[in-house]
Order: sequence, then C-alpha cells, then structure tokens
Amino acid sequence: MLTVASLSRAELEARLAGPGLSVQTGPFVSRIHSPIERIAEGIATLYGDYPLRDFDGFADFHVHMRRSGGLRRWYRPQVSFDIDGLEPFEPLPQEHAFPMLEWALNWCISTRAHAYLMIHAAVVERDGVAAILPAPPGSGKSTLCAALVSRGWRLLSDELALIRPQDGLLVPVPRPISLKNRSIDVIRDFARDPVISRPVENTTKGTVAHVKAPGDSVARAHESARPAWIVFPKYEDGAVTSLEPIPRARAFFRVAENAFNYSPLGAVGFNTLADTIDRTVIYDFRYSVLEEAIAVFASLKPPAA
Amino acid sequence: MAASETWSLRPGQTLQHRQWDSEFVLYNDLSGDTHLLGDAAIVLLQALRTGPATRAALAAVLENEFEADAGDDKLDFAAEADSLLDHMKRLFLVDRSAC
Repeated sequence: MLTVASLSRAELEARLAGPGLSVQTGPFVSRIHSPIERIAEGIATLYGDYPLRDFDGFADFHVHMRRSGGLRRWYRPQVSFDIDGLEPFEPLPQEHAFPMLEWALNWCISTRAHAYLMIHAAVVERDGVAAILPAPPGSGKSTLCAALVSRGWRLLSDELALIRPQDGLLVPVPRPISLKNRSIDVIRDFARDPVISRPVENTTKGTVAHVKAPGDSVARAHESARPAWIVFPKYEDGAVTSLEPIPRARAFFRVAENAFNYSPLGAVGFNTLADTIDRTVIYDFRYSVLEEAIAVFASLKPPAA
Repeated sequence: MAASETWSLRPGQTLQHRQWDSEFVLYNDLSGDTHLLGDAAIVLLQALRTGPATRAALAAVLENEFEADAGDDKLDFAAEADSLLDHMKRLFLVDRSAC
C-alpha cells in the first residue's frame, strides 16, 4: 500500500497543485487541492503514514485551499477554503493555511458524516476498549489525548467520536492532534520525540500546532473499538486529580450537548447514545499533572461487555 | 381542576425512554425533543398509552404505584398528578380536554 511518504516533496506539491492529493483518513477519502507551500509542508510533516488513493477514484470530500485573488495575492496574502463551490469560512492569512486545512477537514466530517452519531470528543483505545473524552474547547482534552497517545493508548481521534449506530462501535478517524498555546510546549516536554508541525501564531485560537498521529494508530484505522468509558476532562491549574462518577441520565444530556448531529439523527441518535451510555462508565475528571492523569487512565477498569 | 377533566397523549408521537437509576430519559419523535423525567411522570405516560384518562383516574394510578413507598406520610396524589400533567403539557407530551 502506497502512503503519502512514498511521494517526494516535489511529487507531493505537484499532486496538490494539480489533480489533487487523495488521502485516506479512517473511513473517509479526502482529495486535497492546494498550491500553497504551507499546506504541502504540513502534509509532508504529519501525513506521511496515511494511505494514498487514486487521484481519479472516489473521494468523500473535495477540498480546495486556494490563494485569495486580487490584491490579496500580494498584499497580506490570504488562503480560502472551498468545498463543492461553497466557502464556509472567511479567508485567513496564508500562514494559517495548514491549521485551516485541519479545521476544514473536521468541518467536512462533522457536517456530512451522518451515517455516524458524531460527538465532539477525543477517543483513545487500549486493549480493545475505548475512552471517549467529550469536552468544550479549553478543557485540556487535546493535551490529555496527546499525553495518553504518547504513553501507548491508540489514537482514534482528537476531535470526532464516530459511533456506528448498527453496532455501537467507535470508528477511528485518526488525524493530527491539535494543540494550542502552552499545551504545545507541555506535550513537547512530556511526549517522547513528538513530531509537531510548525506553530502558527495569532490564529483565532491563539498559537496552534499539530502533533503527528502515531503510525500504529494510522495503520489500525480500520479497527473499530468498543466504548468502555466516557470521561469529561477538565484541566485546572493546581487541581488535585479526581475522578467522580456521573449519573447516567445526567451524562446522557452532557454527551448530547457535545454531539454534532444528535437531533438530526432523531430516534437513531437517541438509541445510539442511550446504548453507549448503557455500556460505559462515566466520569468527571479533573487534573493538573499529566503523569497523574495517565496513572488514573491506566487504572480504569472496563465494564463487563 | 375538575376530577373529570380528561388527559391524553399528544397524537402522532412515539415515545421511547431509558431508565438509569431512578431517572428516565424520554425521546419524543414528533418534537425531536429529549426530556429528563422522574418515575411518576413515566407512570402517568404509560397509563395514557392505553388511552385518555381522567385526572381522578391518573391520581389513582399514582396512588396505586407509590402508596407503599409513602409509608405513613400523607401524600396528595391528586396535586402531584396535576403538577406533573401541567409540566408535561408544557413539554407538548400530553393534552387536556374538558368533558
């Protein structure tokens, strides 16, 4: 199987600027078009392990990251994202092109992949069972996810828990882990030789950078996992590490609030989420020390299948 | 409220629920809404599944279901039924019609 890493940098740039780079991430094929050097740089850094697909085959998402035209081609150049002729985001400075591509790919999935119940959550797996970490921005979800992955948990996703209604299993879509501001240095120090993209300053989220997904997680992207825990993480400076059970009915609503498509799925969404609540143990988790957080996750006992 | 006042489920809806501990999560496919309800509300909804019922009959259903739990406490089941039915009317789950 050919991967993105099999392309030379010149070949990668030629595909991006020409017929498009078709790359498989979990169940999705994205065809990415862009003449922007920052896009090629980010993909070369973080997507080397991902399967290449034919540039004339089927793709779920046709993503164009274009240079803005007119004066913006020379004066404070910008990048715009379009998909099927739509431009859902405002253009951004061209230095933000790679983070914008990541946000664009998240947007493609979260607005279109309604074959799944989609929750805004990180998902990590160990010994065949997975922890779902739903949380709003600023909760430390991605930092915790990156830390767990650096200590042997398999990455299913940093952003999107995809629950398949037919069997309730979590479908992996492992992509780079998005870090913000202080978390970038935290993970640089904590993880063992992480591959991190060039930090991009002054985005709407502050300084952002992405951590490469482990090759093993990418290679096992076809292996679904049974949800065993739902953990709502919350980083609080100086907090004592604590893990508190949440009553299931209350947890149901908290997970639904973090779902992208609970309402559009109707009864399928209700039953899929209810089945997930049934088969998991659910906690609020507060932490300030990553090593202690890792130890708590290592001690989690899965419920009986 | 008159004891003969009749209550019924809103037509056209299919209600599904799950129970965890003593709490229920109810999904209404007509409105698309999901509600957190207690066991007494679910008892009333289940009673109404068989057809419309008077306020007095619904209070009796609650009394029959929870009398043993009340022990020596004197509970006003009619007032409890009124409160729950009004609450569920605001959630578009039930309707009342004067007979």
